[in-house]
Amino acid sequence: MLISKKWLNEHLDVTDLSNSAFDDILTFAGVEVEGITEKGIASDLVVVAEVVASEQHPNADRLSVTKVDAGEPELRQIVCGAKNYQVGDKVPCALPGAVLPGDFEIKETVMRKVESRGMLCSAVEVGLGSDHSGLMILPPDWETGKPLRKFVDDDTVFEIEVTPNRPDLLSHYGMARELSALTGREIKPVEIPSIEPKAADNTLSIEEQKVCAFYTATRIRNVKVAESPAWLKGRLEAIGLRPINNIVDITNFVLHEVGQPLHAFDAAQVDGGIRVRYAQENETFAALDEQSYDLETSDCVISDESGKALALGGVMGGETSGVTSATTEVILESAWFDPPSIRRTARRLNLHSDSSYRFERGVDPQAVTRASALAVKLIIELTGGDIEGAPVFAGAAPEMTGSVSLEPERLHQMVGGSISIDSAQKALERLGLVQEGNNQWKIPSYRMDLQRHVDLVEEIVRVNGLDSIPSRNLSTAAPLGKVDARYDLEIALKMQLAALGFFEAQCIKLISEDQLRDALPLRPMQEGDLIKVRLPLSEDHSVMRPSISPALLSTASRNVRQGAKEIRFFETGRCFRNAGGGKATDLETDVIGIILGGRKNPSSWQDNNIKMTNAFDLKGVLASILPGVEVQLSPVKSENFLLSAQILANGKTIGSFAQLSPSRGRELDFGFPVYLAELDLNRVCELRKRSSRITELPQFPGSSRDAAMEVPADLANTDIEKAIRKLNEPLLVSFGCFDVFRDPTGKQLDAGRKSLAYTFHYRSDDRTVTSKEVDTAHQKTLGHLRDTLPISFR
Amino acid sequence: MKEEIANIQTEALSAIAAAAGEQELEEVRIAFLGKKGRLTVASAGMKDLSKDDKPVIGQLLNTTRYAITEALDTKGGILQDDADAASVEGIDLSLPALPLHPGNLHPLTLVKDRAITILRQLGFSLAEGPEIETEFHCFDALNTPAEHPARNEKDTFYFDSGKLLRTHTSTVQVRTMENQAPPVRVIAPGSCYRRDEVDKTHLPAFNQLEGLYVDSDVQVGDLKGALEFFYRAMFGEETKVRFRPHFFPFTEPSFEIDALLKLKGEEPKWIEVAGCGMVDPAVFDEICKARGDDFYDPDKVTGYAFGMGLDRLAMIQWGIKDIRLLIENDARFLSQFA
Repeated sequence: MLISKKWLNEHLDVTDLSNSAFDDILTFAGVEVEGITEKGIASDLVVVAEVVASEQHPNADRLSVTKVDAGEPELRQIVCGAKNYQVGDKVPCALPGAVLPGDFEIKETVMRKVESRGMLCSAVEVGLGSDHSGLMILPPDWETGKPLRKFVDDDTVFEIEVTPNRPDLLSHYGMARELSALTGREIKPVEIPSIEPKAADNTLSIEEQKVCAFYTATRIRNVKVAESPAWLKGRLEAIGLRPINNIVDITNFVLHEVGQPLHAFDAAQVDGGIRVRYAQENETFAALDEQSYDLETSDCVISDESGKALALGGVMGGETSGVTSATTEVILESAWFDPPSIRRTARRLNLHSDSSYRFERGVDPQAVTRASALAVKLIIELTGGDIEGAPVFAGAAPEMTGSVSLEPERLHQMVGGSISIDSAQKALERLGLVQEGNNQWKIPSYRMDLQRHVDLVEEIVRVNGLDSIPSRNLSTAAPLGKVDARYDLEIALKMQLAALGFFEAQCIKLISEDQLRDALPLRPMQEGDLIKVRLPLSEDHSVMRPSISPALLSTASRNVRQGAKEIRFFETGRCFRNAGGGKATDLETDVIGIILGGRKNPSSWQDNNIKMTNAFDLKGVLASILPGVEVQLSPVKSENFLLSAQILANGKTIGSFAQLSPSRGRELDFGFPVYLAELDLNRVCELRKRSSRITELPQFPGSSRDAAMEVPADLANTDIEKAIRKLNEPLLVSFGCFDVFRDPTGKQLDAGRKSLAYTFHYRSDDRTVTSKEVDTAHQKTLGHLRDTLPISFR
Repeated sequence: MKEEIANIQTEALSAIAAAAGEQELEEVRIAFLGKKGRLTVASAGMKDLSKDDKPVIGQLLNTTRYAITEALDTKGGILQDDADAASVEGIDLSLPALPLHPGNLHPLTLVKDRAITILRQLGFSLAEGPEIETEFHCFDALNTPAEHPARNEKDTFYFDSGKLLRTHTSTVQVRTMENQAPPVRVIAPGSCYRRDEVDKTHLPAFNQLEGLYVDSDVQVGDLKGALEFFYRAMFGEETKVRFRPHFFPFTEPSFEIDALLKLKGEEPKWIEVAGCGMVDPAVFDEICKARGDDFYDPDKVTGYAFGMGLDRLAMIQWGIKDIRLLIENDARFLSQFA
């Protein structure tokens, strides 16, 4: 909403308040000032001047030295940087001492050794528009030497944001009333003649009290619709409204003056009396914005006796019922509409007006007749009209406010005793509340937000300011709970991955359906497992991600397109799905996703032999973040990936592993294989909990034996490992594969076989093992392998 | 024989001095001290000597062997030092470092972790809740009127089930109070969603951190104290913080918090950093209804709550002008937070 300082000044003297003081008062009243626009210049030191001469500055290419007639006995020499004027033009001239917007004071100065006694101004410099490209050229008939403000109004306009609980501030008078309460300045009441409306006969009826509790109508005859006088147009233009005609302008003026929306109907368009009713089924409404709206039976319609809709109650007038230049008689509406009803209608139709904005927040029920009287007075004054009889009303102004008790001990508790009951009472009085005895306070009709004790506390704190309440800190130690423990484990995991050379990514958890082909969920998705947003913003954000991989792939792709040579990212966060076609819904699982591809080592001047990462690098990362855990990849079939496996930790599935299909990789511009892993984050964190005990270092030396074995090419390494573990040889403390050899040509080794080299380490905790003991144990191990697997030793 | 031994010593020492490398030096050692070396061969002549000469010659052989060995060791040490020196000769330490893979945490994680660390000092512990929420937890329990614009399908993402994507982390306030008797002092960082088109300052998903403290005597001064402590720890001890009256359905009184911050190349200005307030009694009433007990009876407890945007905090902290940088995950951006 826009507030004109000049207009406000009609109600409350604020001339001495600087913009920043004004801003401060509003800010601490809870009204956000979003912008301040200066219009024109209040100073008499900015005058109309005529350029009499202009010459090139002797010491500066871009400057000119002008002589101007500013209405003074002598010409004034001013250095100027603009080029858009000609000798003889009239321009604004700021004389020394003038203060321009932005607190910029003009002084006599010397510019490059040439004296300059003032400044010629652009439109923006004198607050008259946004043009700063050159001097503002003024109309030739403006009298030289006169202050600019004789020709253009100066004003300061505040763009403010009022919170939804304070509709009483949505007018100049309302704002003045609040500022009066906060600053103690005296408010000048609006002079409104008292007109007593009489109960309506058949000229007015409310059929639905729920949607419209109170309606007044005033018939004004012999109006002469014409252009509004300058003062009225000025008021509206100051707050960005376009003047239309005197009647419409008066209704708009009253709305912004006292906050009550009004509507004027052309009486010639009204057949008989006025009826306030719900819309009929399938009724459509042609509004004055020239659009047609489909109504529902909960919408409020103002119609005439024939049933013709004149207005959508509280929201907008009709296309044909409004005041035109041909209008000679008007019916002025002032009413009180039910806020939720208006809000519903305005939102559903996406039809928002200054009227609906106020009605849906709640206007002062007691202002309905007063606002009407003010408008009637102005209409009579400005259009020469007269009223026949008294205005009529139907319904009654609703009692929206009552009496609220202030509980001193609760106030004391809330503010820690820092505000005395006495100053609390003063604050309430300044806000227009009236003490009714003991601690009961009568709430003014415009403060519908004050319904409970706590609302009074809020007002007291607001008026006193939070500075008056001392800060307190009584922190006590808090035991860290489960969520904390999980958080700590997760952050340690993330830090380890960062140390391993991975960037943490964070992506939006809404993805496109197209991206689902990249998903690598912890468990396969079934029909109905996907969770879709009902009204997505775009196709790109339409599905809750069941997996992190799609976002990691698009992250990787974006980086590769920006020239990245390796992709190393991880992300932790929620994934979403239903389970088993409706067995469980809206499951949220914390997942960690890792993507790896591209160069193994960044290339350098020392080593240009570039190696690419492969599946075992990612397996290595998994082993590294799961220390002491046996990590295995168990292959599974997958259509979307070239390679796919379950990730097992100590034999239990905790995630999925995959190599991206090369065709998808090419679509995403990867020039190398890309590997993905997704793991259940809770399980990973659980497995990362440090064991509480350490293993002591060996006291006695051990001894190693190597073995080369030939096995069928399709025998999995894990089968050999399992067999060795099963033997449970007490001296065997560790073992592992250190070489794999295959020859697809079959020359050195049968193509159906592979050769594996293993090393076995034997040791005892209580003695130095003898060579003979080791040999015996080793032979037992090899014999066991030979017996249980198709293995031969070389 | 004495003369021969003296000759061997002289020749050996000069051969040692002349040896140009470790290989040559080893050859000298073999030539004189090896199994067939000259001094070894000469020593073999001992057996033919007279009883009187034996001790004298023996003594001489020993000193000679000692002298040659010493000379070999000394020369060996010199050659080793020379070789060591040669190994770094001409090295240009101004050549580029060998690159390691860079990696680090996302700025949102960094700012969130900093916030959590500070708030834990104040005695807060972490709480969490689902992102797919019920209308009850997101709106009803938080005193949001039925017709409130935030409930609109144009502003909030809904699902066919009637559930929605939480629009704020305040949902965790409700869930915590449902499940835990007072006192509670929790913080809940997490994702929230609103139907905002993507631009420089908006994303349909963003991150908030919620705080809630409920006890028998929580005052406005406690709220001030906690948040002043927080923002001073976050932005510096000298940071000025102000509380502006505001309106939220779930707190009364409500405030917005501004911090006076100086952004790079700009004058210090008040920047909105959080919303907060004293828990509205209507919220406690809803909690009592949901719990079926009176632990949260507004006559017995009071509390404060606050919510801050973590994306915004990160943007302020590092002068990030475009929020989209936070979700694009460009390594060139992310590497700046190492």
